[in-house]
Order: sequence, then C-alpha cells, then structure tokens
Amino acid sequence: MSSRSHFEKLRGAKSPAAGIVSVVFFLYCAIALYLIPMLAMNSFKTKSDLINNTLGIIKTFTLDNYKTLLFEDHFMRYFFNSVVLTTASLASLLFISSLCAYGLSRYHFKGRKFLRIYFLLGMMFPIQLGILPIFIIIRNLHLTNNFLGMILIYTANMSLAVFIFSNFFRALPTALYESAVLEGAGEFTIFVRIMVPISKPVFATVGILNFVTIWNDFYMPLVFLTKKEVRTLTLGIYSYMNNFLANWHLVFAAVTLALIPVLIMFFAFSKFMITGLTAGALKE
Amino acid sequence: MLRFTRKPYLGFIFPGFVIYTVFMIVPLLTAVYYSFFQWSGLGPKIFIGLENYRSLFFDERLSGIFWNALGNNFKFVGIVLAIIMPIQLFIAYWLDVKIIGYKFHRTIIFLPYVISSTIVGFLTMLVFNPNIGIINTFLKYVGLDSHLSAWFGDPRRAFPLVSIVIAWQGIAAGMFIFLANLKGISQNIIEASLIDGAGRWQRFRYIILPSLKPSLINNIILGTIWGLTQFDIPFVVGGSQGGVNNSIDFMNLFFYRFAFGGSYYGETSMGFGATISVVLFFIILIVAIIQITFLTRKFDGGSGQRSIK
Repeated sequence: MSSRSHFEKLRGAKSPAAGIVSVVFFLYCAIALYLIPMLAMNSFKTKSDLINNTLGIIKTFTLDNYKTLLFEDHFMRYFFNSVVLTTASLASLLFISSLCAYGLSRYHFKGRKFLRIYFLLGMMFPIQLGILPIFIIIRNLHLTNNFLGMILIYTANMSLAVFIFSNFFRALPTALYESAVLEGAGEFTIFVRIMVPISKPVFATVGILNFVTIWNDFYMPLVFLTKKEVRTLTLGIYSYMNNFLANWHLVFAAVTLALIPVLIMFFAFSKFMITGLTAGALKE
Repeated sequence: MLRFTRKPYLGFIFPGFVIYTVFMIVPLLTAVYYSFFQWSGLGPKIFIGLENYRSLFFDERLSGIFWNALGNNFKFVGIVLAIIMPIQLFIAYWLDVKIIGYKFHRTIIFLPYVISSTIVGFLTMLVFNPNIGIINTFLKYVGLDSHLSAWFGDPRRAFPLVSIVIAWQGIAAGMFIFLANLKGISQNIIEASLIDGAGRWQRFRYIILPSLKPSLINNIILGTIWGLTQFDIPFVVGGSQGGVNNSIDFMNLFFYRFAFGGSYYGETSMGFGATISVVLFFIILIVAIIQITFLTRKFDGGSGQRSIK
C-alpha cells in the first residue's frame, strides 16, 4: 500500500504539472456539470419564465411541464416504446450471441476459424452501410414500423457481443464442461445451467454496453419507425426539438426524463461499460 | 474427445448465423446489385449499368455534393487522428498517473458518451443558438457584442464546431482503450525508469509509447471508421442537408437524403443511394487494409531495428 502510493508520488501524481492538468480537466468537466443540471432545472420553470429567462435561476417552481408532457402528450408512449424495444432487443441479442459464441468457442470443427472471422466483419463495417438493402428486406417482410424488424436488426449487429462472449468462453476450463458431460447432461442444459451462471459478468458487460447503444440509437428508428405510435424516445425528443418554439416548455422535461434511466445505468454500472468498450480492443 | 459428439455446435451457431447473414452480410453485398439500377424504391427497376457511378463522380450537380461530403469525412478523420487521438492519449496518461481527482475526471469525461445524440444536439442548440444560446447571451451580457456570431449558421464556423461537439460526446471510447493499455504496462519497468532518474518525457517516449502499439493500432482504425460514418450529430444539428451550404454534410447524410429523403432530382432514389453506400463501403475497406498492413509492418520494423541495436 505505502509502496504503491510512493510509486504514484514518484510518477508525479502530485507534481505542479499534474496540478495544472487536473485544473484543466476540472474546467472541462464543468461543461457537462453545468449543462445537465441546467436542463433539469429548466424543466421546472414556468413557460414565460423559460422564454424570458432561459439561462437564469428558477423564479417560480412548477410541475406543469411534466403534467402536460405525461398526460396530454405522446411522451409516455415514446418512453414505453423505448423500454419495450430495448428490453426485447437486448434479450434477443444476449441469447443469440451468447449461444453463437459458445458454439464457436467450445467445439472444434472444420471452418471454425473462418466463422470466427466471419462474425467479426460487423466490427469493421457498421451496419448502417447495409441499411438500404436491410430496408428493402424489412419492407418485403412487412416489418416497417414494427418492433420485430428492429429487434432482428439489433440482434444482427452482434459482432462485438459474439467477440466478447467468445473470449470469455474460450478462457473457461474444459474440466467444467467435461464433468457435466460425465453426469449425462445435454449440451444445451450444460450451457444454461453451468455456463450462463458463471458468465454473469460478461452478460452484464455486453448487456449494459448494448443497452446504451440501443436506448440511444437514432439512425435505425429514424429509418424504420416513421409512424407516431411506434416512435422511440430519441425520435420523440427529436420531434420536440425540431419544433422547439412550440414545445419549448416540454422539451426540457422530456430530455430530463429521458436522461434518468441512462444516468442510473451509468453511475451504477460504468465499470461494465468500460470493460465492454475496451474488451474488443487489446486482444490480438 | 469432444469431436466424437455429433455436431452440437450447429444448434448453437445456427440462429445467430442466419440472422447475422441475412441482416448484416447479405445487405452489404446486395447494395452493389441495387447500385446498377434506377429505382425509386417502388415500381420497376431499370438497369442502367454504371450510370449511377458516373453521376456520382461526374454529374455537375451531384459530384460537387459528393466531393464536399467525402472531403468533410476525411477532414474529420484528420481531426480525429491529429487532434482528438493525442488528446485521448494525454487524458489517459494523466488518469493513469492518478492525478488529483482522477476518478472524478474519468467519470465526467465519460458521461457525454451515454447521452443520446438528440440530447447532445439539443445541448448544442442551447449553447450555440444565435438568439437564445448561452454563448451569445454571455457575450451580450459582458458587452462583447462585436464577437456575436451565428455559430452553426456561419458556414466557416460550423465544421470546427460540429467536430468539437462530436469529440465531446465520443472522446471517452478511445481514451479508455489507451487507459486499459497503459494499465497493462508492467509497473516494474516504469519503476526501474524512475530509479534511473528518467524524466517524464523520456519515460513516456522510450518506455510507455513503444508499449502502446495495440491501442494505437486500434484507435487509428476505430477512429477512422468513426470519422467515415458520422451521421447523428450533424443530422440533428444541421438537418438532413448538413447545415448551411452543406458545411457539415457527411457521406452518411448525403446517402440518407437520396435513399430515404427524396433528394434525387426531387425523388427518392434507392439505386443512387445504394451507389453512395457502396462507394463508402469500398473507401472504408481500402483505408482499413492500407492502415492494417502499414501499421503492423511499420511497428514490427521499428521494434526489429531496436532489438538489433
């Protein structure tokens, strides 16, 4: 412990240069720490206060914006849509990609190497590049403005998930598997009963990383969800923003509510997110 | 021993293989097919060979937009590699040194990454809107009216500004890749250099930098793909036209307008849209191949020379 702090001292963690850098970082952080609370504060201002006093301190506190937003607008619909779409897509993505990664890692067979590379291609070529043919396929399946189509697309965007799962499964001791085989368990049972429980941290990593990606996704909903009833939260906020003069009092409340789930996830699980972000990068 | 069980791997891989192939790989390939047609998306497809490609590169009206958008993409890639990446490394280095408040910095620098692009776009408007934005309001308040600007409404300023906003949102990803790499460097080596009395710069240049090869390669490639596939922020901030005079137009916006937004002489053209995405696909492919071969060779050669000495 003391040798560690001595080591940090030697590296100059408390040197004048480090002090200056630290101040610069604090100033940079102040941008986010000013803007986000400001959004929340503005959501409690009255409409006239907002127009005349957008940047100032709150004058009269009101919950009217939230009342209008929640009970007289489509906001609840958008929020509910985002919850359903994100949950279902995550469930599908986690299930399909973990199965796939397990198959690629546990078994030796001809063409395994090829398949591993094949599943990595999506990391090089973002799914947006194929959006036009995807659009045509989805339309032919009559799945535009339909969550099933979106779930399929989000599931197909599985390269990173398969990669992270594969690295984990490959590192598991084969003894685990072999003892279960001796007890006569089936392959799928082994996966569900033995492999999934010990892989919880990886499921968390892949799950949280993709929660943020799907919850925040703008492009796919913009292309595929054009009807009001199926709009997601990001699209809803975009529509408020696009006409912000009319929705000036609503947009702050909407943005504040939209941020809450993400911020909870962020402060509770940012470790898993960092693991996910760096998992793909330093191997090989 | 496992080889004798009857192909259980098929059951595991099959569902993923089908979905991934149908919605990820096949679309990448069939885009090429659609690029040979004149097609509004509905009605008959007319085969026109390479006409879409000719229009894209040489048509008076279209090629100008194309080169402008592609140029912006490459300008942004340049900004990523020359400015954003060094900043990411700088931040990661000091977080790894554990300066005062490093946990706080790490958290708050990461924070914008989880905020959706629409909300980042809204924040951008609050800051830069010429009438109600924070900056102009502040300038008026302190009496610097001569510095008032239209910000995103000014074509010369829009591009640097949009780059800053995109960087603000996304800077953490590459930074964490550097940080993970830095944490992997053996403490003993750094400790030895400390005992030898190497200065901070020497230590960075001769001990830390050579160990950063994996994260450098990754960030160069990921950063390039990031730069070539921008869509959200420019679209939210500047609309589908990519701002005033297309000043923040990018390939993906250009594509979106033609494929879904009816910009091909007033009508949607799936064929022309496909052409744009095919060209972007090949640009990414070529750039990635060049980078991978060049980077691996250069780094290997470098370390080889050092070991000969």
